[in-house]
Amino acid sequence: MSFLSPLVLFATLGVALPILAHLLSRYKVKRTDWAAMQFLNRSVRVRSRQIRLRDVLLLCLRCLAIVLLVFAFAKPFVKDAQNVPSGIGERRAGVVIALDASYSMGHSDGSLTRFERAIDKIEVIANDLHPGDPITLVLLGAEHRVVARSTSFDRERFDELLRAQNVTPENLDLDSVPLTLKSLADELETPQKEVYLATDMQASDWGERPAWLGEAFADLARSATTTIIPVGGGPENLAITNLELVSGVLRKDTIARYRATVKNYGTTSVSNVRVKGLAKGMTVDTKTIPTIAPGASETVSLFFHFQSAGAVRIGAELESDSLLFDDTRRAVAIIRDRVSILSVEGSANRARGGSGGFLAAALRARGSGTGAENFSVQSVSWLELPSQDLASFDVVVLEDVPEITPEQARAFEAYVRAGHGLIWFPGDSVDAAAWNQRASLDGISLLPAVIEQPISTSDSLGVGRPLEATLPDHPVCRPLRSLPEDLLSETRFRKVLEVTPAATSSMVLSLAGTAAPVLLEHSVGRGRVFLFTTSPDAAWSNMAVTPMFPMALQQMVTYLTAREFELPRLVGDSLSLSYVDQPDVSEGVFDSPSGETIAVAVREHRNQFVALLEDSREAGFYTARVRLQAPGVPIAVNVDTEESDVRSLTPAELIRSLDGTGISVATSDSDFIGALDSARAGRSFWLAFLLAGLALLVIESLLAHRMRK
Amino acid sequence: MSQHLPEANYFDPEVLQKLGDLELIAREVVEGLRVGSHRSPLRGFSTEFAHHRQYAPGDAIRDLDWRVFGRTDRYYTKLYEAETNFDCTILIDVSSSMNYASAKVSKLEYAKFLAASLAYVVLKQRDSVGLSVFDEEVRAYLPPRSAMGVILEIDRLLREAESVPRTSIAKQLHDIALMMKRRSFVILISDLFSDVDDILAGLDRLRYDGHNVVVLHTLDPYEIEFPFKGTWLFEGLEGEDPLTTQPERIRDDYLASFQKYMDALKAGCVASHVDYTTVDTSRPLDAVLSEFFHLRQSTLDGPSSSRP
Repeated sequence: MSFLSPLVLFATLGVALPILAHLLSRYKVKRTDWAAMQFLNRSVRVRSRQIRLRDVLLLCLRCLAIVLLVFAFAKPFVKDAQNVPSGIGERRAGVVIALDASYSMGHSDGSLTRFERAIDKIEVIANDLHPGDPITLVLLGAEHRVVARSTSFDRERFDELLRAQNVTPENLDLDSVPLTLKSLADELETPQKEVYLATDMQASDWGERPAWLGEAFADLARSATTTIIPVGGGPENLAITNLELVSGVLRKDTIARYRATVKNYGTTSVSNVRVKGLAKGMTVDTKTIPTIAPGASETVSLFFHFQSAGAVRIGAELESDSLLFDDTRRAVAIIRDRVSILSVEGSANRARGGSGGFLAAALRARGSGTGAENFSVQSVSWLELPSQDLASFDVVVLEDVPEITPEQARAFEAYVRAGHGLIWFPGDSVDAAAWNQRASLDGISLLPAVIEQPISTSDSLGVGRPLEATLPDHPVCRPLRSLPEDLLSETRFRKVLEVTPAATSSMVLSLAGTAAPVLLEHSVGRGRVFLFTTSPDAAWSNMAVTPMFPMALQQMVTYLTAREFELPRLVGDSLSLSYVDQPDVSEGVFDSPSGETIAVAVREHRNQFVALLEDSREAGFYTARVRLQAPGVPIAVNVDTEESDVRSLTPAELIRSLDGTGISVATSDSDFIGALDSARAGRSFWLAFLLAGLALLVIESLLAHRMRK
Repeated sequence: MSQHLPEANYFDPEVLQKLGDLELIAREVVEGLRVGSHRSPLRGFSTEFAHHRQYAPGDAIRDLDWRVFGRTDRYYTKLYEAETNFDCTILIDVSSSMNYASAKVSKLEYAKFLAASLAYVVLKQRDSVGLSVFDEEVRAYLPPRSAMGVILEIDRLLREAESVPRTSIAKQLHDIALMMKRRSFVILISDLFSDVDDILAGLDRLRYDGHNVVVLHTLDPYEIEFPFKGTWLFEGLEGEDPLTTQPERIRDDYLASFQKYMDALKAGCVASHVDYTTVDTSRPLDAVLSEFFHLRQSTLDGPSSSRP
């Protein structure tokens, strides 16, 4: 016999207490002379002896009861109770039921989803559990959720609990599964521990496992009898893996082009895949992909015409297939009435009508046949800057501005922090020392780099270096990648400013073949600052006369005028809500797609006030509000399509995959029920000991009461 | 309450114990009872002339009234109500068992105060008081005298007496009866821890000689109630085997045995015309005496009163 809680056995030392009390009562004798001894006669003496004997008997009963109760609480059990007569002890098992709730479990074979089939299997396990057995139910996903932890099994409540569970829009974090299950199994205080894992055994998760994960599963199997219940299904699935803005300005009365990418994860070609473009819940565009080969991705362009300003919830949606979670991709477009740009030009340039003109021209450049200008550009001399109201502009472009005053530096910092954009170009007039001093306020740098002196990048023939996209997926780089290679390489840089990038900055463009940055970016509050290390002035580069310049500049303005909420998130990502100034409320509010309102404390981080929702648990549109009564801003949250590959391992592949781990796979229902019977060989005796101990205590009390009469 | 020492609760046995002077104790206790304002409850003898009756052969010649003979030529004998004075003999048991004290005052000390107080009452009536101290045998016998010094004798005799275990009481009472020359008022102060038949035999012996016997059964409250808790070792004062027990668990047995003994003793006393009073040594002495005198008074006044 073994004990689940052997340390409790130390409590048997408690037997010493009644013995000690008995001995003390015997040896703590008070003495007195006594005259009336004739009344302490023989019968009284006999009775005294009887009392002593009864006391010893009661003491023995008391000690035995204590020992039995201590044994009961130490939870005695026999692992192999083959030789123990039936009727003695109980076949008790502590069970951990792990249910894969990643969204691939929502894949349907036509009638039932994998998740529903898994619940049916778990109910078979529940049939073999005794009321009172400790049971743990855990939903596995990106973050595992323990629904019931070591609770006493009650069939009705368990069924109710089980039926209340749903598939989550999360991926399965398989790496942490064995450790989680082992710790849950270790918490069970039963002689027999069983772990059942119902999963669709996705090939992408279970197929190529690292060696350490196999060892982790083997470790789990050593702690508890572990059985995997596969509920796999067919591999067919289509998913929209991406929806992004390709071109266009998010301005009222303009049309923006988004690109939706559809991937076929199945093993057969799919024809006539219809993709709908949705804005504010209404279908605004529909495209059909003639065919998608197995494993291939196809893209379609969806056009959205924005007729009014404000945040617009847009999406791309497939016609329903076997897995609904990845059939929709969402995004948010913040549409403006107009985009205003203030172009501030340095004195030297303005005097000679220099590159400032190129900037305005590049921003105003339009494709043939398009209507009104996308941007409203106002050009001023840097000397006129103090009279400008910055708040009326979305983006400010500083070009060859010699220096700024500390007040202007503060005004720019507040301007960017409020969510606006700043583009800085160097020039011959720039006083680097003055900029470095003024642009660095309170330890926070306005510019993404410390600027130094200009250096020549021309070769011996006076030809400058070409451009290279350092961050190809950056929104500024995306349209440049669509340019033919020779067109892009036409742009040459003869001179760049030597800079020391700040730690918070990222290099978007650089000189080809070097680490010298051409375009740096960093965030200040809710806004961003771009710093070019070169000028459109002909002495620095020829970019003002190449197609690259208007494309990049317009894309930069579009990017700078975008709001953080336009960037779609994935389920599990954090959602943040930034405040321009210190807010007068302590909590920001997020409304989940299902309507749940979540209040999040506003915290200060690096001089910024942010309400951060640690992880988004639902796919759809969240709404962020700076306070409960404030209007909300939508944030799109999509599923991570890594889970969309729903192909499962076959039972044979699965058994091979788990070979050597000690984990069994219940490939059929009969196997499964047989495994349950054979696994549960241990018996628990705690109840028997508890009842015996309590019975002895009752007998002892009755005897003591009777003897005192 | 005494007017001599008005501030003191003078009848508390423990206070009396501290006082020391036995005569003072007796005076204070008895005066406090205002005995002088009432007929003494110990009255039993008288010198009052009753009447004449004709001489009958056998009458004492000295009782003839010669004056009547001279006037009438007939023999008449003078009859008196009683003798001229009475003797009171106090018997004090000084055996080892009397030394038991649950509080500060032992039964023996209490008996001493009781004897002195009674002696004082008798002496105040100009009657005589004698004393006998006994344990296994009669240790001292003081014939009745009417001098106040007898109270000091009580103190001296009790101090000199060495307690010895006693197994019987009848023999001692028999011996004392032989020592007493006249019919007497006998007050026995003892815990009477002996065989009931033995005790009654001794009392009967005294009654046989015509003595008027009063038993003041002196008991400690612990002996009456047996209120011990815990484990106790009882060591017999008269050489019995010791007993270790848990008294609260045998209390009922003890009290039953004790009650049986008391019932037998009281019934025997009634049958032998012996006045019996239980004296609890935890009670104030004046209360005990007052109760005793009241009982005596009602006995003397009642239809069943018997006079020697």
